[in-house]
Amino acid sequence: MRLARVRRTGRGRWLVPAMVVPLLAAACGGSKSESGAGQAPSKTVKIGVIAPLSGDLTAVGTGIRNSVDLAVKQANTSNKVPGWKIELAAEDDAGKPDVGAQAASKLSSDPAVIGVVGTYNSSVALQVAPILDKTNIVEISPANTNDTLTRGENFKTSPVRPHKNYFRVATLDSLQGGFAADYAFNDMSAKNVVVIHDKKAYGQGLADSFKAQFEKDGGKVATTETINPGDKDFSAVLSKIKPLNPDMIFYGGEYPEASLISNQAHGPQGIKAPLMGGDGIVDPTYGKTAGPAAEGDFGTSVGAPPEQVGSAKSFIADYKAAGYPDPFSAYGALAYDAANAIINALPASLGSATRVNDTIRQAEINAVQQTNFSGASGAVGFDNFGDTVTKTLTMYKVEGGNFTPIKTGEFKG
Amino acid sequence: MRQLAQQLVNGTVLGATYALIALGYTMVYGIIQLINFAHGEIVMVGAFGGLTVFRYWLPDSLASTPWVALPAVLVVAIAVAITAAVLMERLAYRPLRNAPRLAPLITAIGVSIFLQEVVRLFYPGGKRQQPFPSLISTGTLDVGGVTVAWVSVFVVVTAIALMVALQLFVKATRMGKAMRATSQDPETARLMGIDIDRVIVLTFVIGAALAGVAGVMQGMRFGQIDFRIGFLVGLKAFTAAVLGGIGNIAGAVVGGFLLGIVEALATQYVPHGSSWKDVWAFIVLIVVLVLRPGGLLGERVAARS
Amino acid sequence: MTEPGPGDVPERQRGSRKAKSLMVAGAGAVLVGSLSPWATFAGFPGKMTLAGFPGGARLFCLLATVGVVLAFVDVAGRRKATLAAAAGVLAVTVINGVAIAKQGGGPATVAWGAWLTVAGAGLVIAGAIVLPLDRERTDEWRALPPALEVTAISASLAGLLATVVWGLGINESSRFVSFLTFVAAASVALHHLGVFSWLATIWGRHSRVTVVLASATAAAFPFTQHGNAYWVRVFASIGVFTAAAIGLNVVVGLAGLLDLGYVAFFGVGAYVGALFANASLTTVHIHLPFLAVVFLGGAVASVFGLVIGTPTLRLRGDYLAIVTLGFGEIFRITANNLDGLTRGPNGISGIPDLHAGTFNFGDTHHLLGVALPGFANYYFVELVLVGAAIVVFTRLNDSRIGRAWVAIREDEVAAAASGVDTVRLKLLAFAIGAFLAGTAGTVNAHVTTQVSPDSYTFAESILLVAAVVLGGMGTVPGALLGSAALFVIPEKLRSFQDKRLLLFGAALILMMRFRPEGMVPSRRRQRELREWAPRGRAGATGAPPGPAP
Repeated sequence: MRLARVRRTGRGRWLVPAMVVPLLAAACGGSKSESGAGQAPSKTVKIGVIAPLSGDLTAVGTGIRNSVDLAVKQANTSNKVPGWKIELAAEDDAGKPDVGAQAASKLSSDPAVIGVVGTYNSSVALQVAPILDKTNIVEISPANTNDTLTRGENFKTSPVRPHKNYFRVATLDSLQGGFAADYAFNDMSAKNVVVIHDKKAYGQGLADSFKAQFEKDGGKVATTETINPGDKDFSAVLSKIKPLNPDMIFYGGEYPEASLISNQAHGPQGIKAPLMGGDGIVDPTYGKTAGPAAEGDFGTSVGAPPEQVGSAKSFIADYKAAGYPDPFSAYGALAYDAANAIINALPASLGSATRVNDTIRQAEINAVQQTNFSGASGAVGFDNFGDTVTKTLTMYKVEGGNFTPIKTGEFKG
Repeated sequence: MRQLAQQLVNGTVLGATYALIALGYTMVYGIIQLINFAHGEIVMVGAFGGLTVFRYWLPDSLASTPWVALPAVLVVAIAVAITAAVLMERLAYRPLRNAPRLAPLITAIGVSIFLQEVVRLFYPGGKRQQPFPSLISTGTLDVGGVTVAWVSVFVVVTAIALMVALQLFVKATRMGKAMRATSQDPETARLMGIDIDRVIVLTFVIGAALAGVAGVMQGMRFGQIDFRIGFLVGLKAFTAAVLGGIGNIAGAVVGGFLLGIVEALATQYVPHGSSWKDVWAFIVLIVVLVLRPGGLLGERVAARS
Repeated sequence: MTEPGPGDVPERQRGSRKAKSLMVAGAGAVLVGSLSPWATFAGFPGKMTLAGFPGGARLFCLLATVGVVLAFVDVAGRRKATLAAAAGVLAVTVINGVAIAKQGGGPATVAWGAWLTVAGAGLVIAGAIVLPLDRERTDEWRALPPALEVTAISASLAGLLATVVWGLGINESSRFVSFLTFVAAASVALHHLGVFSWLATIWGRHSRVTVVLASATAAAFPFTQHGNAYWVRVFASIGVFTAAAIGLNVVVGLAGLLDLGYVAFFGVGAYVGALFANASLTTVHIHLPFLAVVFLGGAVASVFGLVIGTPTLRLRGDYLAIVTLGFGEIFRITANNLDGLTRGPNGISGIPDLHAGTFNFGDTHHLLGVALPGFANYYFVELVLVGAAIVVFTRLNDSRIGRAWVAIREDEVAAAASGVDTVRLKLLAFAIGAFLAGTAGTVNAHVTTQVSPDSYTFAESILLVAAVVLGGMGTVPGALLGSAALFVIPEKLRSFQDKRLLLFGAALILMMRFRPEGMVPSRRRQRELREWAPRGRAGATGAPPGPAP
C-alpha cells in the first residue's frame, strides 16, 4: 500500500527527534534570561487596588486606580523605597461583594502584595477586609464610610475593632450625616425635611445618621422614602412628597440617582426645596447631568476642599500631567493619600529583606498605624480603630454647575 | 383627589414609554417567538445616536432651535436604532432560526451585554452619565393643581400618535397584512408567497424605530442618558407586553399604561411604596396571568408550540 | 490505522502527495519559527528574544507541529483536524504579533521568527486544502482490552486536570489568550479525529470506573495549588454554582420550563443557611446542625418553588419565563426591605466557619504534605453536593418521570393526551430544582460568610441559564462545563478589566452562532437537530423520545 511505502521511504523519520529536541531545549532554556531587560531593582513589592472598574461605578473606580498608579509611579521615580520596585496590581470588584472577595483572594495569594487600596463600596469591604486580614495585608479604603467596618456591629454602644489590618481615610457616616444635619438646621434654618435613600448600606447609614441628628437638633423629618437604585423615573415619589412642603430634601445615596431626583424635583415636579446629599453625590457629573435644576443643591464631603490644601494642588497638577484619560473623581485625592500611606511605611517595614513575607506584612500594618503626613486631602493619620484622625468635613453648594465649598468644619456629635 | 390625578398623570407618562418599547417586544415575539432581551439596548443606542447629532453635528445656532434640533435628533436616533436592530437580526438571530428555542435567548442576552459595553467603552465619556438636551421647553403646565411638564405632554402625544399609526399600518396596508399572516402561521404565509425574511426584518425595523423615539424621550425627560438606560426599562416593557398579551399590539399599549399607573399609585398609596412598587407591578402581572393566562388582550388562537 | 477504501486509492494518493510536501515544509517552517525570536525587544512575556527556546506562546505553535504526522496517516477527519491546528497556530502567532507590535511600537519590532511561523501556518493550511476530502467516519469503536481502556480514561482525566492547572497558572494575558486559542484548536482537531467520541464511548462503557476516577480527579485539584487559596476559592464558588446549575437543568433542560428567577431559590437557601447558622448578625437565634440546615434550606426553597409554581401552571413557556423573572425580583426586593428578618441591604454577615468536632473548615490543613487552604474543605463539601445533584439528575433523567418531562417539553398537549399528569410533574420539576438550589445556597452562605440581596439579582439568574444553555441543556457534563467556563473565564479575563464584559457578550453570541446545542449536547437533542439534515441517523440507537408508556 502506498501509505505503508511512505513510511518506509523514511521521509517522516526525522519527525520524532525533531519534536523531542526543541522540547528538551525548552526544558533547559527556561533558566536563560533575556539580554537587555532592564532589571535594576530586582526586588518587587506590589500594592493592590480593589475598586469597581466595570459596571455602573466605573468612573469612580477608574479615578481611584489612576490615583494609586500615580502615587506608585512617583515613588518609583523618586526612589522612595531604595532597592525596591513598586508595582500596581489593580483588580475589579464590579461593585459586588462576591467579585470583590475573589479579587481579594487573588491579591492575598500573591506573595509580593503588601497592601491594598480599596474598596469603594462598604458592602464589598465587609467581604474583602476579613480575607486580607487572614494574610496580614494592610487595607486602606479611600471611600468606605460604614461605621461597622472599624467599630464592629455594636458601634454605638461598645465599639470593637474587627480587623487590625483595616484602615480608612474616609470619614464615618455618623459624622457626615451629623454635620449635614447641623448645617441644615442651623445655617439653612430648615425645620421640615424629607429624607430619601437608596436602601444600600451607604445610603441608609447616611440617611439614618442625618435623621437622628436633625431630630435631636429639633427639626422634623416629615417622611422617609426609599427608592430603587437603577430606577430613572422618580416622578411618583416626588409627587408624593410635594404636598408635605419640605424645606429641604436629604438624599442618602450616590450621584446617578441623586442627579435624576434633583432634575425631576426642580424641573417637571416644580419642587423648590434644594437637595442635600453626602460625599456620594459630590461628583462633577452631578452638576452636569442634573443641569440648571441642580443649582443651589448641597453636598458634604470628607476633608478640606482640595483647592485650599497646598499638597492637593500638586496632586491635581501631577494627575493632569500624567495624562490619564479619565478624571480622578471624588475619591482620587483620598486614594492617592491611601497609597502614599502604604508607600511611606514601606522603608521601615521592608528593612533589609529580599522579599515580602508575613513578618514584613505585620510590620507594615504597624507602620501604617503610625502614619502621620500631610496629604492631598489634608492630614493623614489613623486612630486606634483605624479611622482617619481628620474629622474635617466640608459643605459644598452647586453654583454654576460645580460643587463650590461654602463651609469647612468638624462634627462634634 | 389632586394627588390621585397627579399620580395618574405620572403613571401615564411612564406608561407611554413602556408601551412604546413594549411594542417592539411584542411584534418580534408575535412573528418569531423570540424574547428579544436586547430590545432595551436598542432604546439606549438610539438615545446615544440622538445625542451625537445634537452634540457633534448640529451647529450651535441650529441646536438651540427646537424646530430643527428635535426632528434632527429624532431622525438620527431612529436611523441608528434601525441600523443596530437590522445588524442584530442579520448577524445574530437569523442564523439561529432553526436552533433550539433557548439559543436565540442566550444570543439576545449576549447582544444586550455587547451593545452596553460597546457604548460604555467606545462612546466618548460613555462611562459616565451624559447630559441630554431637553430640546423643548422645560416649563410646566398647571391644570387644576396638577403639574404637567411640557416634555410629558410631548411624550404622551407622540407615543399615542405612533401607536395609532402602527395600528393603521398593521390593519390597513399590504405589508401589515403580511405581518399578521406571518405571525399566525409562518409556513402557510410563505406558501402564499409572502417573503418571510422581509417581514421579519420589517418587524425589527418598526420596533427599532419606536425604540429610537423612546430613547430620545428618555433622554428628554431625565436630562441625561447612560449605557444602562435601556436594560431596566426594557425589562419593564417586556413585562408590560406580557401583561397585555404578548404578540398583541393593542395589548402592549394597554399593558404599558397599566404598568405605569400601577407603579405610580403603589408609590403613593402603599407605605414605603417606592421601594415595593416593582413588587406590586409583578403581583398585578401574576394575578392577571392567573385569571387570564393569555394576558389581558391575549390571543384567542390556541397555543402554538 | 484504518485502511483506505479499496476503490479510491490512486485518486486519493495523487492529491495527497502535493499536500504532504506543503505540510511538511509548513510544519518545518513553524518548527524553526517557533524556536526563533519573535520580538526585537526584551520584556515581552515568554522571553521572546531568545532563540532555541520556545518560550511563551511559541510553545503552543511548537506543540501544534506534532499535527504534521497527519500528513502521513490517512485517518478520517484529518483534513479538518489539520486545518484546525494550522488555523490555531496562525491565530496564536497573529495575536502575539499584534501584541508585540503594540508593546514595541510598530510592526518592525516583530522579529522574523513570528513571520516565518505565519508563513509556515499558511503553507500547512494550503497543504490541508489540497488534501483529499475527509472520509465519512463511523463512530463504531472496537472494544480494546478493559485494562487499556481504563488506562486511557485515567490518562484523559489526568490530561484534563493538567490542562486546567496549566491554564490557571498562566498570568500574562497574551499568553492566556494564546493558551485558550491553542486549547480550542486542539479540541476541534481532536473532535474531527474522533478522539472525543471514542472517549465518550469508553467512558460510557466503564461508567462506574469513570465516575470514581472523575471524582478523584476533581478532588485532586486543591492539591495542585500548593496551598494557594485563590483558585481553590474560585473553584469553591464554581462548586456551588454547578450544583445550582444542575438543579436548573432539571427545570429547563428536562422539563423545558424556562426559569428566569431561579437565583431566588438559591437565595432562599442562603438566607436560611445564614439565619440558622448562629451568624453574629442573625435575627433568628436558633442554631441548628449544618446538615439539618442544608435540608431545611432545600425544603424551604422547594416550598417557594411550589408557591410560585402553583399559580403559573396553566401558563405557556414564555409567560412562565416572565412570571419567574418577576418572582426573582420580588424575592430580591423583599430581602432588601424586610429589615427585621433579613437586615435589609446590609445582609447577614459574620457567618461562622463550619465545625466537625474539633475540625474547623476555615483553617488551613495539611494532607499528604500539601497545605490545603480553608476553601479546599468547602470545595470537598461541594463535591459531595454536586455528586448528590448529579445522582438525582441522572436518576430522574433515566426514569419514567424524566421521560414524561421530556414529553411535556416537546409537546405539552400531546403529553397530557397520552396520560401524563402535566400539572403534578411540572410542580415536581420546580420543587426538585428549587431543592437543589436551596441546598447549594446554604453551603454558599458559609463559603462567602455573608448574604446580601445584591447577590441574587436578575443578572445572576441569567448567568445560570447561560451556564446551562452554553454547556448543553439536559446533560450533566454540560452543566459542569458551562458553569466552570462562565466562572473561570471571567476570572482569567481580569487582566482585560475594562473589556471583559464585552468579550463575555461576544463569546455568548459566537457560541450560540456556531454551536447552539451547547458544548455537550444531549444525545436526544442532537438527534432532534440532525433531523433537519437529510443524512441523520435519527432513531438508530436507543428509544425515540416520547411519553412514558
